[in-house]
Amino acid sequence: MRGIIFKALLVIVLFALPFLLTSPYYIHLLATIAIFAILALGLDVVFGYTGEVSIGHSALFGIGAYTAATLNFHFGIGFYWALPAGMIVAAAFGALLALPALRVTGPYLAMVTLAFGTIIAIVINEAVPLTEGPLGIKLSRPLFLDWRPYADALPFLHMPLPRMREAQFYLATVVGLLFTLVVISRIVASRYGRAFEALRDSPIASDCMAVSVYKHKVLAFVTSAAFAGLAGALFAYSEQYVAPNNITFDQSVTFLLAVTMGGRKSRVGPILGSAIVVYLPNLLADIEQFRVAAAIIAALAVVIGAIRLYRGEANKRAALIPVALCVAFFVLSQEMTAITDFKLTIYGLMILFVVYYLPEGIYGFLRNLVGKFRPEWVRPPVDITGLGRAEDAWAATAPTSASDQPLLKASQIVMQFGGLKALDRVDLDVMPGTVHGLIGPNGSGKSTTMNVLTGIYKPTQGSVTFDGNDITGLEPSQIAGVGIARTFQNVQLFSELTCLENIMVGLHHSYRASMIEIGAGLPHARAEEKRALARAASLLRFVGLEALANEEARNLPYGKQRLLEIARALALDPKLLLLDEPAAGLTAPDIAELIEIIRKVKAHGITMILIEHHMDVVMSVCDRVTVLDFGQKIAEGKPAEVQANERVIAAYLGTTVELA
Amino acid sequence: MFDFQTFIQLVVSGISVGMIYGVVAFGYQLTFATSRTLNFGQGEALMLGSLAGFTIMTQLASHLGIPMPLAYLLMLPLVLMFGMAQGAVVEWLGVRQAIKTKSEAGWIMATIALGIIFKNLAENIWGRDTFTFPAPLPDAAIQIGGIRILPMEVLIVCGALALMAAVELFNRRSIYGKAVVATSADIGAAGLMGVNTAQVITLSYALSSLTAAFAGVLVAPVTLTGASLGSALGLKAFAVAIIGGLTSGVGVVVGGVLLGITDRLTGYYISTGYQDVPGLVLLLLVLSFKPSGLFGKSAIKKV
Repeated sequence: MRGIIFKALLVIVLFALPFLLTSPYYIHLLATIAIFAILALGLDVVFGYTGEVSIGHSALFGIGAYTAATLNFHFGIGFYWALPAGMIVAAAFGALLALPALRVTGPYLAMVTLAFGTIIAIVINEAVPLTEGPLGIKLSRPLFLDWRPYADALPFLHMPLPRMREAQFYLATVVGLLFTLVVISRIVASRYGRAFEALRDSPIASDCMAVSVYKHKVLAFVTSAAFAGLAGALFAYSEQYVAPNNITFDQSVTFLLAVTMGGRKSRVGPILGSAIVVYLPNLLADIEQFRVAAAIIAALAVVIGAIRLYRGEANKRAALIPVALCVAFFVLSQEMTAITDFKLTIYGLMILFVVYYLPEGIYGFLRNLVGKFRPEWVRPPVDITGLGRAEDAWAATAPTSASDQPLLKASQIVMQFGGLKALDRVDLDVMPGTVHGLIGPNGSGKSTTMNVLTGIYKPTQGSVTFDGNDITGLEPSQIAGVGIARTFQNVQLFSELTCLENIMVGLHHSYRASMIEIGAGLPHARAEEKRALARAASLLRFVGLEALANEEARNLPYGKQRLLEIARALALDPKLLLLDEPAAGLTAPDIAELIEIIRKVKAHGITMILIEHHMDVVMSVCDRVTVLDFGQKIAEGKPAEVQANERVIAAYLGTTVELA
Repeated sequence: MFDFQTFIQLVVSGISVGMIYGVVAFGYQLTFATSRTLNFGQGEALMLGSLAGFTIMTQLASHLGIPMPLAYLLMLPLVLMFGMAQGAVVEWLGVRQAIKTKSEAGWIMATIALGIIFKNLAENIWGRDTFTFPAPLPDAAIQIGGIRILPMEVLIVCGALALMAAVELFNRRSIYGKAVVATSADIGAAGLMGVNTAQVITLSYALSSLTAAFAGVLVAPVTLTGASLGSALGLKAFAVAIIGGLTSGVGVVVGGVLLGITDRLTGYYISTGYQDVPGLVLLLLVLSFKPSGLFGKSAIKKV
């Protein structure tokens, strides 16, 4: 309810502003803020959610602007077509850039986007026939209603076509901003938004949940590029002129500053940040205003610093440095006579300040402050009472396979790291419906086997077939997609997502609606989300974590984290579930609960491979056991047989007699 | 008509400019090895080195009356020390905190911010215009089989190789080098074994800016110097670091030379406007087909 009132107020204020501020100068400023906000909201998808840094958004912005300008200049195509065209062209360039740059992790995207910005600026400068080069292209204000293309067919449309005035154009940008707000809010609340956050928390676990890190990073970047293109197209008509000098490194950094300073991972933050960076040059042009602003910042810093010290939230040094910096900044502002020469230094200082002392941005800072008193305002909990039942935790159809053929067949697997053979011609046949134990001393190659089976390592030799299909060398996300789920020896949850959201990431594969359908808010996309929520609630109930549904995964005790990981893996509707030391670090009652869960999973027809050091667990649940030692299979059979095998005993306890 | 002599001439000058790209890229590698971070303001470190060198030399010449080649030699150690100090400042202000909080966006933003600040300060100190840097060697070209080579170009190639060799030797032979290897392999374990990893990272930044400052005074006599010298070179070096691989010493030399030559050939045969484009396209191609760089090794991720 509160949300609806807030949204209605926002819309009213945005539309009412031109009636309050009648000066064309300020209305133009507001339009610019709205345009920057569109870009910043898009940039936040990449920068805030996936955590990748793009220094090329000014180029994408420029591409949007030039799309609008060239369409008009060469083909006479107007404003309304320019907007979608700007989005599409910028998204295409975004894909061209993201596809190579995101293949590797690390600072590559930042480096490549920086290079991309330079290329685009050069090409626009040089491709004179298309872009008019350094001269730029002039545009006129868009027609309020553009009926020209239809006027020949429908003669009554021949009428005077007024051009938009400043206020009307501002309203057009507000419509663009609201469109961006709605679409981006829907996307980040959907499975895609969860995927973006998940891949940042644990890329490996994302891939193993069939959420391809690469694919989703590219998707995030392309989405972001599309909104940069929209902003660019609007900007071209707002300024009525485009020129290559809009595409600069400094401009890209300004966009990043807007998002960081306003507050990442929010809708308010980028808008707030855009307002600040658009207004900043005005502030810097007027030394008196600048001094007042510096005084306000210094006063705020002193108050906040005093509160933090008083509450003992930070030690003296950490609390006093930012205060001292702000005060020094104020003193400096009184001394300076002209700031325009030092404009970029001030930008740089602002970035440093935000990075260190406001990492969550202004909005994030306020949100944390409110969150201390009213946590439910900041992160409204999802109510799952009455949603889902433990019995509904299972996929609609139980996994079936021909029972006389192995479900998983690994043959002659060799995994070599340099000179070390971690696995040496290992064969493994896992029959459907069984729990297959994989044991061996530390360093015997159990986890390596797990990593080969799930595609994290590509085997040096040998092949893996699953359910009759060769899966050797597939990517982890593809292998997860065919129905192999896993848990991790060192728990790999999405630590900043809630328990419920962790499981919903596991359910990612069960959605059909595309990003565009979600952005459009189609009914079947909403229904799908509801179904997934109920299913996630069922899975939480199955492992007994329903009371912790809204708790962030990192706050869970260790034993519960392991259970949550199993629930998340089950969300993938696997045919085969790989459990890597699920009992490690668990207390005796937890272990009893775990054994119970393993039995129930088995009862639903899901095949399992279990790596475990707790022999009581292995002996009580496994149908067959394979023993590895130094990367070789030394025994296989029923648990009791293996337990009696001399080579196994020797491997575990050592031997003085050389075995033949 | 294709003129083979011109072609060779372009290749030679491409090699010398490519060595500069290589040295700057080498600086990226030094810090990437210890902390998986790099200085987005590396180009500005080069620019500051070059401008500081210019000021030191003019001071030496005007106040002490020291003649040209000698002034250049005297200036070198001072500039190298200046570079080290500058690098340490970057690490201290821009990187240290971000490493602690494991924030990639943090160090990228902070080093960009420092780069912007350095550039802006340089504009205010030395002005926005470019000016000529006094050359330590004569301008007269040496003729070898009809190809004209500037003595300065020879100095660039030799100086760049010598510097990289010296830093490599320091990394391989000194106990500090062991600490670098340990830190890059496993920062946590190195810390537990008594390696002061924070110091190792600071030193790697100091060395990185030292190489950049050196590159600055090497390249300035053949180009012009000024506050805008750094940005383009820093970007080129990014391309070189990606093409050659962020982990390969040979990669930066080969990548640098490759890019230097492509630049020169494009500039001559196609258009100087497009000079920078092929290198950057090459970068995208390398990422598409061999993401770890032409000479880089792909890392094995552990679960």
